[in-house]
Amino acid sequence: MNFLSKIFTWWNGATIGTMLAAWRGFEHVGTDAQGNKYYRSKKKTGDGRERRWVIYEGSNDASRVPSEWHGWLHGLGEDVPESFLPPARIWETDYTPNATGTDTRYLPQGALEKGGHRARATGDYEAWSPDA
Amino acid sequence: MPNVTVDGTEIEVPEGATVLQACELAGKEIPRFCYHERLSIAGNCRMCLVEVKPGPPKPQASCALPATEGQEIRTDSEMVKKAREGVMEFLLINHPLDCPICDQGGECDLQDQAMAYGRGYTRYDENKRAVTEKYMGPLIKTIMTRCIHCTRCVRFSEEVAGVDEIGALYRGENMQITTYLEQAAEHELSANVIDLCPVGALTSRPYAYEARPWELKKTLSIDVSDAMGSNITLCSRGREVLRVLPRINDEVNEEWITDKARYQVDGLQRRRLDKVFLRKRGKLVEGSWDEAFKAIAKAKPGKSIAAIAGDMVDCETMFAAKALVKASGSDLVESRQTGMDYPTGNLAAVNFNTSFAEIENADAVLIVGSNLRTEAALLNVRIRKAVKRGAKVFVVGPEWETTYPAEFLGDDVSVLGKLPKAVTDAFKDAERPALILGAGGLAAGAYDSALGLVETLGLVKDGWNGFNVVHTAAARMGALMLGFAQDGGIADIAKAKPKLVLALGADEVDWEPFADSLKVYIGHHGDKGAHAADIILPAASYAEKPGSYVNTEGRVQFADKAVFAPGDAREDWTILRALADALKVKVGFDNFAQLRAAMTEEVPALAVEGLADYGSLPKTGKAAKAEGKIAYPIADFYLTNPIARASTTMQRCSAELIHGEDVREAAE
Repeated sequence: MNFLSKIFTWWNGATIGTMLAAWRGFEHVGTDAQGNKYYRSKKKTGDGRERRWVIYEGSNDASRVPSEWHGWLHGLGEDVPESFLPPARIWETDYTPNATGTDTRYLPQGALEKGGHRARATGDYEAWSPDA
Repeated sequence: MPNVTVDGTEIEVPEGATVLQACELAGKEIPRFCYHERLSIAGNCRMCLVEVKPGPPKPQASCALPATEGQEIRTDSEMVKKAREGVMEFLLINHPLDCPICDQGGECDLQDQAMAYGRGYTRYDENKRAVTEKYMGPLIKTIMTRCIHCTRCVRFSEEVAGVDEIGALYRGENMQITTYLEQAAEHELSANVIDLCPVGALTSRPYAYEARPWELKKTLSIDVSDAMGSNITLCSRGREVLRVLPRINDEVNEEWITDKARYQVDGLQRRRLDKVFLRKRGKLVEGSWDEAFKAIAKAKPGKSIAAIAGDMVDCETMFAAKALVKASGSDLVESRQTGMDYPTGNLAAVNFNTSFAEIENADAVLIVGSNLRTEAALLNVRIRKAVKRGAKVFVVGPEWETTYPAEFLGDDVSVLGKLPKAVTDAFKDAERPALILGAGGLAAGAYDSALGLVETLGLVKDGWNGFNVVHTAAARMGALMLGFAQDGGIADIAKAKPKLVLALGADEVDWEPFADSLKVYIGHHGDKGAHAADIILPAASYAEKPGSYVNTEGRVQFADKAVFAPGDAREDWTILRALADALKVKVGFDNFAQLRAAMTEEVPALAVEGLADYGSLPKTGKAAKAEGKIAYPIADFYLTNPIARASTTMQRCSAELIHGEDVREAAE
């Protein structure tokens, strides 16, 4: 199943073509807390820069890249982020990807999924019911 | 008529005018806090200082200074400017700077006048005075630190309301305004002190922190909580009416409204009918408009159709209902829900003929079966004015707490046949005698004997008609003008056993005799009428539709629509128009303009704002004898209509002020 989904889907991790390319020309640099793997090209481009990639562990959602690796992907630093960033403070929370469209998304107080109880607003009225 | 000079322009002012009034006539604005046109002059705020010659070389309080011949008044001199700045500085010394959290913000006299006449900065860095909180009942919120001692509230309750409820303790800077023993203010007009208060010391408790004045939409409307037809402004935001303020109309409500008119509006957000309901197997269940119209058409009423109008219905609704009933071939329409059956052929005989403004000049008043304080509190204010001018008042009916000296003549109507000598003497000497017949009197059958008194007491004189009827329902005079009545009252309709009864917001009807009829309730609140109905069609309240109302003195007035009705509710006339289609009859109008045109064609008096002319009183022979104990129709002033009954504020007032429950809150 895993093998079949690798062939027919593109939205979970690398496709077969990317895997082959990574195997041929990528150099593994590091892995973040979520298991996403970061690579750089073994060869430099024509103007002397290196190319950098991420291969997701799980869904291909750009918001799953934590901020330190986001910087690295965009050319910040030579080596892994730990090598040039200050150590994480104790008050820093774990990075969470964008929750839009997922079950953990933010719901305001009055959302039906939260029970629909909200503070009274102008224009609210209480309908009559014959049982009352 | 003295001639005075105001800032160089000479004008003639009426005899007895004050300097302040003279300046107003000359178009000059005089700042003031304590002076109010309808209250006595106190002269204690000192804000109205002007320079007057001849006189002492110092500024004078213009509100308390009579204008005399040859006075030279200056309102624009350096001395006046300095005096105003000085007074304003003194007032602000002990006034907290809490405008951002004050409910008066935006409509505060002190705020406005500090901007216009104040200094713009403060030189005061001592401690400010603070005043302990007072309790004034469920309607008035007090923050007495803000009080500037203008004593308008004290003068109002003493002079206009006629009850000694609010007074002042201590002197000078230490003066404190309070109700005696910190009891709640109990009279029916108590909340008017909120409008009178020039600062935020007395504000509206139910409206506290709800809105700022500039975000409210103001709609001109007419009050329907009693038959006075008080002119009101509905202040709404979005779909909700947040508060009601009185409009000035000297002919009707002067500047006041009753607490019920002011505070029943929160009932518009509760117990609302916003869906169609149909009775299926004895239970009301939700349905659609189509289902409801089909069910009504299936009943095949044919000619057997009747309409009963409630107390708060506008003329347009009643006309539409009458048109529908008439088009079906029936004439069973009635608006007197509680079963009264006085003759309605001559409208002058069921009208307040003297008019509210004129009744102030009456010099002898006989009240038959009316507790004016609960039935028409603003009329009671007028009678009090008449008494202050020397009128004698007699009351037939159970005793109630009058706000003026009055003599009670027992609670049986038979006394009208043999009036005591004191009454006949008072009326014999009276130039402008008046009789006021209330709903209690009408119910006890005093109609004929009261009309008989027109002759005996000489109530009709040149330019004076002293025969008055006070109704309790805002819809009553409009209904009678539209012929929305039967000779035998509602009993006639019950006798006809109609297949279909349309109840237009009728909540006081005894539905027992209509057990076999299909009862369709067209109204806005789930009250007794809705519980008894077979089909409920949700309609609009008085704030949610334009309409005309006729008050008990026959004054035609128009009200505008402030907000939209909630949910599926529609304006009443559209429901009746759709019902006409369902019953396959033609009513002759398709929109509101056509409806109004048809209505004014039938009753031309409804087209013009103002007093309608009902002609002269019917000729009566010997006064008919009547017997019967009078009972007043209103047991609980705060809960007389479905809107008020749904209102939490009115419920609280009823519990606290009438039933004496202790629901007092800790001072904030």
